[in-house]
Amino acid sequence: MNGSGANSVLLRASGVTKRFPGVVANDDITLEVQRARVHCLLGENGAGKSTLADLFYGVHEPDEGVIELRGEPIHMVSPRDAIAAGIGMVRQHFELVTPMSVLENVVIGTRGEAKVDLRTARVRLGELCDLYGVEVDLDTPVGDLAVGQQQWVEILKALYLGCEVLILDEPTAVLTPEGIERLFTTLRRMASEGLTIVLITHKLHEVMEISDDVTVLRRGRVVRTSLTSEVTMAGLTRMMVGRDVDLDIDVAEASRGDLVLDVSGLDVATESGRGSLKQVSLVVHEREILGIAGVSGNGQDALFDVLVGMQPAAAGTIVVDGQDMAELSPAARLDLGVASVPADRIHQGLMMDFRISENLILGRQRSDRFGRRGWLNQNDIARFADDSFANYDIAAPSPTHVTRVLSGGNLQKIVMARELAGQPRLLIVHQPTRGLDIGATEYVRRRLVEERDRGAAILLISEDLDELLNLSSRIAVMFDGRIVGEVDRRDATIDRIGMWMAGVSGTPGEAPP
Amino acid sequence: MSAGISNAPGTSSGSLLRRAGWRLERRLEVKPWHEVVTLVGAFIIGLAICSILIAASDKSVVDSYRALFDGAFGSRRAIYETLVQATPLIFTGLAAAFAFRAKVWNIGGEGQFFAGAMGAYFVSDLWSGVLPRGVMVPVLFIGAAAAGALWASIAGVLKARYDTNEIITTVMLNFIILLILSYLLGDLWRSPDTFYFQTVTLPESTHLPLMIGGSRLHWGFGIAAAMAVVVYVVLRRTALGYEVRGVGINRTAGSYKGISVPRVTVLVMAISGALAGLAGAAELAGVHHRLQLDISNNFGFVGIIIALIGRLHPAGVVVSAIAFGALVNGAVTMQIQTGIPAALVDVIQGLSLIFVLTGAVAVRYRLQRTRTDESLPALADPTDE
Ligand SMILES: Nc1ncnc2c1ncn2[C@@H]1O[C@H](COP(=O)(O)OP(=O)(O)OP(=O)(O)O)[C@@H](O)[C@H]1O
Ligand SMILES: [Mg+2]
Repeated sequence: MNGSGANSVLLRASGVTKRFPGVVANDDITLEVQRARVHCLLGENGAGKSTLADLFYGVHEPDEGVIELRGEPIHMVSPRDAIAAGIGMVRQHFELVTPMSVLENVVIGTRGEAKVDLRTARVRLGELCDLYGVEVDLDTPVGDLAVGQQQWVEILKALYLGCEVLILDEPTAVLTPEGIERLFTTLRRMASEGLTIVLITHKLHEVMEISDDVTVLRRGRVVRTSLTSEVTMAGLTRMMVGRDVDLDIDVAEASRGDLVLDVSGLDVATESGRGSLKQVSLVVHEREILGIAGVSGNGQDALFDVLVGMQPAAAGTIVVDGQDMAELSPAARLDLGVASVPADRIHQGLMMDFRISENLILGRQRSDRFGRRGWLNQNDIARFADDSFANYDIAAPSPTHVTRVLSGGNLQKIVMARELAGQPRLLIVHQPTRGLDIGATEYVRRRLVEERDRGAAILLISEDLDELLNLSSRIAVMFDGRIVGEVDRRDATIDRIGMWMAGVSGTPGEAPP
Repeated sequence: MSAGISNAPGTSSGSLLRRAGWRLERRLEVKPWHEVVTLVGAFIIGLAICSILIAASDKSVVDSYRALFDGAFGSRRAIYETLVQATPLIFTGLAAAFAFRAKVWNIGGEGQFFAGAMGAYFVSDLWSGVLPRGVMVPVLFIGAAAAGALWASIAGVLKARYDTNEIITTVMLNFIILLILSYLLGDLWRSPDTFYFQTVTLPESTHLPLMIGGSRLHWGFGIAAAMAVVVYVVLRRTALGYEVRGVGINRTAGSYKGISVPRVTVLVMAISGALAGLAGAAELAGVHHRLQLDISNNFGFVGIIIALIGRLHPAGVVVSAIAFGALVNGAVTMQIQTGIPAALVDVIQGLSLIFVLTGAVAVRYRLQRTRTDESLPALADPTDE
């Protein structure tokens, strides 16, 4: 605990314990958040960060201990109480009404009035947007916004309801580097206006950049709260996972083998036209990782969907091992050995109401590995689940629990475990380490390289440039639905890729065509 | 409007629950026993509320419910009769439950019941003279299942192909099949010795054997119970069942991982229709022995209620079907002995459904003891509704 400035403590958890069936998610946590500062919570997947945030937000109530606000114990039964007390939160998985407009989503949280005056609301919201530099069209249905934008809607909602403390649960996981920069600028402005920010993130450099204080959680307990200026990234890592982790993993050169994926002249139309694909051509060989860089919304989703068979190609071919699969169903592509990890794991990758063990076999429920002639073999499934739990260090009481209880990072581990286990010929991964703690990130990256060395062809779509530069054999950059440049890893520089990502084609020094 | 909400902690207007030191907490995992409690609780509350109605009409609640119970379970005979009533409901309940698991809203159980009965009649009419009973009865069930499946598949294919709303198509198909049946009963299938819309009585070789000699309890009940086990095993232990449940939970993720949602939809509709069709066969070959327009006591529709009350679980379906059979059966005795109209059981059914549906939401929460530390200042309104 910080002895200094005790009278500026705004929010405090003292001796807080929260148990769920089978786990102690928060174990005797004492934590102080100072007024008008940015306080980061750091910890492995399943360490209890979201749970602690939920306790601050009234989603849960502590089994033991109390939450105090301005030195007074407060007793919250639901987020309404938290909001009324001036605590706002953007949860890890958003809570928006997607068919409704931004404006409607924001005012929906106000209560007590029979009639909502949209005109006044619009004015007030406009002021808030101006004050904090938020750019979002108030009349767009939220469902049409990119995730990063949806997050701004959540933030606006909290601000609109008049929060004094704003809790953000892994906000940067869904943002581009520019988006993160914008968010951080805004957060700093908020802090200088007197708002108190609690921020959860897995990225150490973000902790170093934005926060004033940092608290590390481990297995539900507080390891330590420090001034950010007094800690180092390596020190935080050790506190968090108990060992050193180097994310920049050693990737040996591999000699690439036969051609596996050959995409040429691919056009994909989308309804809005945004994020469509235009004349995309690329190749991936055995023992090769092709990285796809780009600011999100430049066609990555369409590329992923068209490759796995969820969107039709308007033109072009997708050849895998000599066979054009452009017309094949997702199932037929699975049979060709195409595995995929979608970016939106909750909606596209998982059945939240299945048991964890059931999710681990999704897509392979008819394979001989887990049964025969349409019968499922429970023993094989259980054994596979146990292996996955061990290999990926999945934090859950048991594989028979419902998937819903998993923490965000552990959900991603389930998807990764499932997709990598099938020894795919072609692996298409979209944001594979989003939301993972550094230990798990390291593990997943190593596994991707192992898969490469086993002989898989890997298409890695990511917004994390460090990840791409570390793992890829070659990096292609998407902009506005096209591949605007491609470069060997040896020749790749952040500058060059950054230029392409901004839509400038050609190589630095050359005049763009 | 005043947009901002006061930042000051409000005054104490805690809910009753909270003042008593309890709070509701959302639980992510619902265990089987929670479901059992919901089901039993709903029936009990349904009965309890109806006891107010009984008392209001100046009848003795105790006597009425005793009569109801005696009529349903008071003697061997009563029990067998209850099971006879439950038999078609188990089939139609399973039919609805199976479809609903995949979020395929088959409301056409009634029509599929008739399709099944017609299929059964058709093959009986064709072969009852040539096939021995040991073969005829299974064939008749197969005919019913096929007819029910076929009829339901129309809606299944329309949904899979053209994304037609299956609620509307299955309901419309109910009307259509009844019209076809009336036409047939008035014409081709009409018994020559009657003016009624009914067929001839089918020969012995088509009659379902009795489970208990001297009662009306036929093997349809045994088959229905067996089908409940089959449905359970299919849902839990087979890839098809996995896909059916998966499509019900998240069809997007299912499609990404290669589950063909249209294919599953058609299959689910067909299987659901087949199950409802079996009910038609059981009633035709086990009870009526001739086809007429009133062989269904709304079995297809009541099956939907049974499925919902049974929480879409085969065991739940069997239990609630038997409970409904008991109500229907006991109500007759109650009416005779106390004069309370048998329609009261419809009220009990309706109330039970409401409470099961409420309970289904309620079990998602658990009551937790909070510290009864009254010194803690309460905040503004909690979640009391
Ligand atoms: N409602 C719940 N019911 C049961 N278990 C839960 C529930 N919520 C969380 N848990 C468990 O509590 C532990 C802590 O989860 P929490 O979501 O707080 O982790 P986290 O630190 O936010 O992790 P991540 O970085 O992966 O988001 C996990 O083991 C999780 O499975
Ligand atoms: Mg979390």
